Amino acid sequence: MRWLVYLFREAWANLRTNRTTTVVAIVTTAFTLACVGIFLLSYVNLRHAADWLQEDIKVIVYLDDRLSQDVIQDLEGTLKADRMVGGLLYISKEQALGEFRAQFPSDSHLLEGLGENPLPASFVVTPAPNYRSLDAVNRWAERVKTMAGVAKVDYNQEWIDALAGLIRYIELAAISVGVILSMAAVTIIGNTIRLALFARREEIEILRLIGATRAFIRIPYFIEGAVLGVCGSALSLGILKLGFELFRQQIGSVGRFRGIENLVSFLPLSICVAFVAVGMVLGVAGSMVSLRRFGEGRG
Amino acid sequence: MIQLIHVSKSYDRRVALSDLTLEIGKGEFVLLMGPSGAGKSTLLRMLIGEERPDQGQIFVQGKNVGQLRQSEVPYLRRKIGTVFQDFRLLPKKSVFENVALPLIVQRSSTADIRRKVTEALRAVGVEHKKDQSPASLSTGEQQRACIARAIVNGPVVLLADEPTGNLDPERTAEIIELFKLINARGTTVVVATHDPHVMSLVNRRVITLMQGVLMPERQGGDSVGV
Repeated sequence: MRWLVYLFREAWANLRTNRTTTVVAIVTTAFTLACVGIFLLSYVNLRHAADWLQEDIKVIVYLDDRLSQDVIQDLEGTLKADRMVGGLLYISKEQALGEFRAQFPSDSHLLEGLGENPLPASFVVTPAPNYRSLDAVNRWAERVKTMAGVAKVDYNQEWIDALAGLIRYIELAAISVGVILSMAAVTIIGNTIRLALFARREEIEILRLIGATRAFIRIPYFIEGAVLGVCGSALSLGILKLGFELFRQQIGSVGRFRGIENLVSFLPLSICVAFVAVGMVLGVAGSMVSLRRFGEGRG
Repeated sequence: MIQLIHVSKSYDRRVALSDLTLEIGKGEFVLLMGPSGAGKSTLLRMLIGEERPDQGQIFVQGKNVGQLRQSEVPYLRRKIGTVFQDFRLLPKKSVFENVALPLIVQRSSTADIRRKVTEALRAVGVEHKKDQSPASLSTGEQQRACIARAIVNGPVVLLADEPTGNLDPERTAEIIELFKLINARGTTVVVATHDPHVMSLVNRRVITLMQGVLMPERQGGDSVGV
């Protein structure tokens, strides 16, 4: 077990010997990863919003005017039998007018001038849970449009499409920024490890000559890289959390956005853990790059 | 124990060793003499797999060193103790920790490390300095600590490259006596030196290298003029 103690002690000694460099590396890595975290946070929240919209999706099937009650009942039967339909609500022309008046009392006089009720009857369809994806709803709406007696099929497609597009852009940006900034983090940690390697080059030489394997020599530097990565990513989560709470407070105090602060949420625990794990992997990668450049690896 | 067959090595057209063929038996004590640049250090570096010959073969305990994979080299080095002119002790570690290093890299148990390091330090006479830093030791004591590190894991061969280069004649004699004791326990000892005074202290086989070429063998001891 002494060898194991030795390896961890050496890693700790490396971190302590280059204290300033260690702190600078952790802080720089933290801010670098925090930038990635901002994209991740935006992505997670938009995804959440999209899922919420998706879950709440309603499709309105407007009917032609002057359909007989029999035709409407036939159509209702056909829709109810469809496995993609989870729920169905019939809104008659009169109910539609009533709802309009209730929602827009100051504008109700506009309809009165027309004499006849211009609002169509409709079915408000809630898709079945397994058919709420945008594609499934799209396909279903296209099919229903062709049915006899159906005038128009409407749902919040534009809004969902726009959100899906935004999510795709954020996803792409997150991946691009993530890759570039991860490389930056690897370089920052790698440089710190290189300083440690340089400071301990004599010890490395002695270890080689007394029969230390390549792995034995490398492990303390991998541990050092992992510690730097974990500390950097954990600190970046702290910075993100602080920034997130400030943002939530600010947005809550602006009248127009009041209420949004309760809809946004911080990264879930599983993503936080994964984020720290990624930090660790980046740290080890930084060590690997430096060890390779330093030339350690000879027998 | 050690066998070299037609070994040659050059660095940028400068010949370091030329067609060297020699054999060192188990338990022998051999002095490797020659001026600076004669090829002594190159030969020692080849024996521990630090350098590979351009031509020829090198065997240590039956293993062809030149054919070893890089991953096998550490295991060869664990059988060979190495003593350096500049001691190469780690200044931030105590004498005990320095001597324990070869055992730690072999993943020996804590009890084994304590026992073997204590024995090695006792054998070289610096047991009482085990908790001190190398910097607080005299040069002679530092070299003893270096020898303790080289013998702590019971190597079959001990290679010393100019081990007395930084020592006065009195300390040189003490260190050579120590090598004789280690050799008497069965370890093959090869001491590379350019110091004729060392030759006068050792009545054993002397191999001389001149510009990488092997000279006729001699015998060291009192008869040698210093």
